[in-house]
Amino acid sequence: MAVNTIHREPPEQSAYRGVRRVDHSPQIFNNQPARYYLMWLLLPAVLLLAAISLYPFVWLIYMSLHEVQLAPGKSDLWAGVDNFTRLFSDKSFARGWVTLFKYSALCLSVEISLGVLVAVILNNSRLEKLFITIFLMPMMMAPVVAGFLYMFLYNGTFGWYFWLLRSLGVLDGGTILGNKSWAMAGIVATDVWQWTPLIALITLAGLKRVPQEQLEANMVDGAGPLRNFFSVALPNLYPFLLIAILLRFMDNFRFIDTILIMTGGGPANATKILPTYLFDVSFKFFELGRGAAIAFTLLLLTILLGLILTKIFEDPTRKIKTDGMD
Amino acid sequence: MASREIVRYKSPARTAFSVLVILFLIIFFVWTVLPLAIMLTSSFKDLLDAFKLPAEGDWGGVGVMFDFKPTGAHYVELFTEKHFGEYMRNSLIASLGSAVVSVFLGSMAAYALSRAEFRGKKDLLFWIISTRMAPVVAVMVPLYVIFRSSGLVGTLPGLILAYTTFNLPFAIWILKGFFDNVPYAIEEAALCDGANRWQALRMIMPLVAPGVGAFIVLCVLFGWNDFLFASIIGSGGAKTLPVATAELVQPVKIQWGSIMAAGVVTTVPMMFLGLLIRRYLVTGLTMGAVRE
Repeated sequence: MAVNTIHREPPEQSAYRGVRRVDHSPQIFNNQPARYYLMWLLLPAVLLLAAISLYPFVWLIYMSLHEVQLAPGKSDLWAGVDNFTRLFSDKSFARGWVTLFKYSALCLSVEISLGVLVAVILNNSRLEKLFITIFLMPMMMAPVVAGFLYMFLYNGTFGWYFWLLRSLGVLDGGTILGNKSWAMAGIVATDVWQWTPLIALITLAGLKRVPQEQLEANMVDGAGPLRNFFSVALPNLYPFLLIAILLRFMDNFRFIDTILIMTGGGPANATKILPTYLFDVSFKFFELGRGAAIAFTLLLLTILLGLILTKIFEDPTRKIKTDGMD
Repeated sequence: MASREIVRYKSPARTAFSVLVILFLIIFFVWTVLPLAIMLTSSFKDLLDAFKLPAEGDWGGVGVMFDFKPTGAHYVELFTEKHFGEYMRNSLIASLGSAVVSVFLGSMAAYALSRAEFRGKKDLLFWIISTRMAPVVAVMVPLYVIFRSSGLVGTLPGLILAYTTFNLPFAIWILKGFFDNVPYAIEEAALCDGANRWQALRMIMPLVAPGVGAFIVLCVLFGWNDFLFASIIGSGGAKTLPVATAELVQPVKIQWGSIMAAGVVTTVPMMFLGLLIRRYLVTGLTMGAVRE
């Protein structure tokens, strides 16, 4: 703004005294005034975001290098890279990563296969509208409520799912959430219940964009419905499924509400995925320095995923950009 | 569609296949709806009825589920003794406050990002999306220390700020996609007709208004359903519905009736909102990558 006022000639020195000059320069957005105007629109959000995300990130790095003291009056002790080196010998940390990947792999494989199956069956059928409405209901539920609901269903004395498993003769002794492998299955089932509908909705959106000509051409060439699905529809769906997988994987370690409610990481750490471990270290034992170091490793994974995701968003050859975005 | 015109002959294999498909759909339907039905019915049962189960293997006894005298006692208890009205208000203020701040600042920034080209824009966008994707617990560790020293822990403004950490980047990112789809020609035409930039922006507002409204609703949803931030940053003065629900678990006994009622109270409004913004839901939940 200041730049403009400096370069403007004072009106008294103009040859056309008393005549108002009208600036006819084309209003392209990259000219100076528009740039400033847009900058002022952008600035408040960026400043606020910096204050609540960049500033804490700097703090996180500071904390990871210190032994953080929460008691008033005490100052933090310099720890160097101790918090990080300790992670290498921390068995729970390594286990947390393994459990996280195991949990995500289980959730994703079941959700993707079920979601795609449901979507393919429902596509263009009369039931589509009804099912889409039903799909909304689990997705809108707070993860905490879903956790409690499934805890109720799994309960060893009055849970309906417990009764079902016992009646089917699958569950031998003990309760669902008290057994190591069953507990994992239990939390995976909760995630599957809540989020398979989202995968189905994404797949349905993808199926609507499968080029009909390709399907028809394939059929004229003698392909059956199954062949048609695998050789035409599925390749067209890949970008949608990739987005679905990335987003679900991200949410698997973004939200740990359900696990905290249902098992708290137990039994015997069988469901203690890394963020749950981080929660315990930071907000149960209040070892915030060590917590910060763990959080830092988690953020690195986030940044990696973010890089992949922005690549997909940007790549113009991808279907997602040309077909996904109208 | 050509596929519909192809004559299909009935064969045993085909009949078996369609029976399997229908069976699968029925199972999926029951699997999705049953937990919701159990939550709803249990919230109206007194505890004796809620804990009734048929004997193991007694498949005929499933009817027990619907054999009860409905009682509203749990709901009455929630709103009188347990102060859920207050928690509901907290939830509403925190989520709505954060949603309005995020979408207001976010739409301004999104418009600017959509129209301007400058060096470092890609990096800025990357920073914004990765902020949104950061795990809540990891964000909370430093945020807790900062908020503690500035006295924001346990207050509604603190909670609003905490929710804004994920709502603002979401709003910027998704609304940018929205503004990208509005042709610049409309504004250009308005500018040529003598409108100033602000008036030109107002010209395109009706085009984006439904989306902006829908994303306010979505931001409310994200805030309303949050548990982690609320349990740590909101602990004390700003208790929200999910935290209050979690506190119904007491060492002596878990008050299942109240928890189920609290679940219904927390979930039903969001389901209605979800239906309301149905058209934008998938776009919102996939960060704008997929559009129906």
